[in-house]
Amino acid sequence: MNEDAVLRVENLGHSYGRFKVIEDISLAIGKGETSALIGPNGAGKTTFYNAISGRFPPTRGKVYLNGEEITGLPSHRVVARGMCRSFQITNVFAELTVAENVFTPLIIQQNKHFKLYGNVYRDKLIVDKAMHTLEQVGFADRADQTVSSLAYGDKRLVEMAIVLAREPSVVLLDEPTAGMNPEETENMISLIKKLAKVSGTTFFITEHDMKVVFSLAEKIYVLHQGHLLAQGRPEEIRANEDVQEAYLGRKVHA
Amino acid sequence: MAVLKRHNLAGPAILVVLLAVGPLVMPTYWVMLLSEILIMGLMAMSFNLLFGFTGLLSFGQGAFFGLGAYTAALLLQNGFSNLFLILVAGMLVACVASLVVGFFSVRLDEIFFAMITLGFGMMFFSIAHNWIDVTGGSDGLPVFALPSLSLFGVELTFYTPVTMYYLVLVTVVLGSVLLWLVVHSPFGLILKSLRENKQRVAFVGGNVSRLRIAAFAISGTFTGLAGVLFCLFNNMASPEFMHWSFSAKPVIMSIIGGTGVFLGPLFGAGIFFVLEQVIIQYTENWMLFLGIVLIPIVLFFPDGVFGTLRKKLLRKV
Repeated sequence: MNEDAVLRVENLGHSYGRFKVIEDISLAIGKGETSALIGPNGAGKTTFYNAISGRFPPTRGKVYLNGEEITGLPSHRVVARGMCRSFQITNVFAELTVAENVFTPLIIQQNKHFKLYGNVYRDKLIVDKAMHTLEQVGFADRADQTVSSLAYGDKRLVEMAIVLAREPSVVLLDEPTAGMNPEETENMISLIKKLAKVSGTTFFITEHDMKVVFSLAEKIYVLHQGHLLAQGRPEEIRANEDVQEAYLGRKVHA
Repeated sequence: MAVLKRHNLAGPAILVVLLAVGPLVMPTYWVMLLSEILIMGLMAMSFNLLFGFTGLLSFGQGAFFGLGAYTAALLLQNGFSNLFLILVAGMLVACVASLVVGFFSVRLDEIFFAMITLGFGMMFFSIAHNWIDVTGGSDGLPVFALPSLSLFGVELTFYTPVTMYYLVLVTVVLGSVLLWLVVHSPFGLILKSLRENKQRVAFVGGNVSRLRIAAFAISGTFTGLAGVLFCLFNNMASPEFMHWSFSAKPVIMSIIGGTGVFLGPLFGAGIFFVLEQVIIQYTENWMLFLGIVLIPIVLFFPDGVFGTLRKKLLRKV
């Protein structure tokens, strides 16, 4: 197993009652590597994400981030260690402005969330960093718009900005292009590529859209009925017969 | 930078000036009514820190109001007459109690949060109502000697309605300024984020429970301050302050005035009491007419009376 992995998962399992949703998942993601977790509906992708990001503790197994164990830590601790995530359903602060959406993670990161006086807009450390983050996702000119007034694809970008603001070493994206039109999807793909290249952020995404997966991922993990069915480079996954069977329900004879 | 927000403080400044000169031209009865509006307005604004800004509907604020009042009454009955001591002690007791209640309540949301705070409120009511040796039971605790204040060698007392009014005004203005600072602080922005999406706050590193407990304690502390003032104004601490129907008052006032604007609940308190005065001249069933007035407000003023008017005015400017 790769000891330099930025994110390492060992024998992870989670059960609801006696039903094992995911079982015995081990993987190691290298720094700066963009990887994808794919699998049919109900394969356990979101459960896997929730178990490693602190939404609930996993029933079995261990999770390491940058070499430190984070198994079972609550979400706010996981974030502090450097892993931040997005959700399948857009998760933003709807009635706040775009700028305020990005201020929130920065206030917490700079430990000012119990500061009872002062104006955030005059806090240069926070404002500069927020504007930098918004420039990365192309939102700097719309910082004072209320998020609820934005188009769907733009809300997803605001969520990206929220996730990226604290400069996490690992970013989990749960279906980042779900519900997007082709143009928005194209934008999201090039944004993730750009960020991975410029800031060296490690992206780990789940995605239904195979076009997105194959244009982004350097490594693909295939989840099937709670087990890790295969892992490898995109071309290996394409050629893997087990994967074809899992997706199509039968072996494809070439 | 495009996003810099400037606070318009002209309106609140004019309001303070008007409130300061008001008693010079008003009949005594209205001075007393205005005192009550200010005290209940402070309670409603403290409540709204939780409701409008954090998204938590507390139905037990009467407990902290009552704790402030009883603390003041007990201290005064036992010969303590330093005004600062009484104000600070009332706030401290309310703060400690709200930390405890908050600790058990903030894990819940929406109706469950409302019900557990209501439950705690009724516990405090029962104690106040039944622990007769200390609280005087249903008669409450009367207050005869009011605290005084030595300022620059001058001894100020508050036995007339006008001097009492100025004590209330200064305290409520100071309390409101502190609450305003909190609402507009980094902590205040995090509270709004919690209102919008507590899960997202947790997933950018915020400890949701701790943040909510802090909000609950600040709200309770200022509610306690309002309770101390009401005890002095009313010459009495009474168990009815802790009854759930009393806890409903800041809820109604905030909804009437507008929960999205800082001063909304204060205006709501004003509308509440003025309505009561007007309606009570014609009928004793004023609650019936309060209901009749409340319905169109909820329907046609979604941001409250003050909130909606302010929005319309700002749009025109």
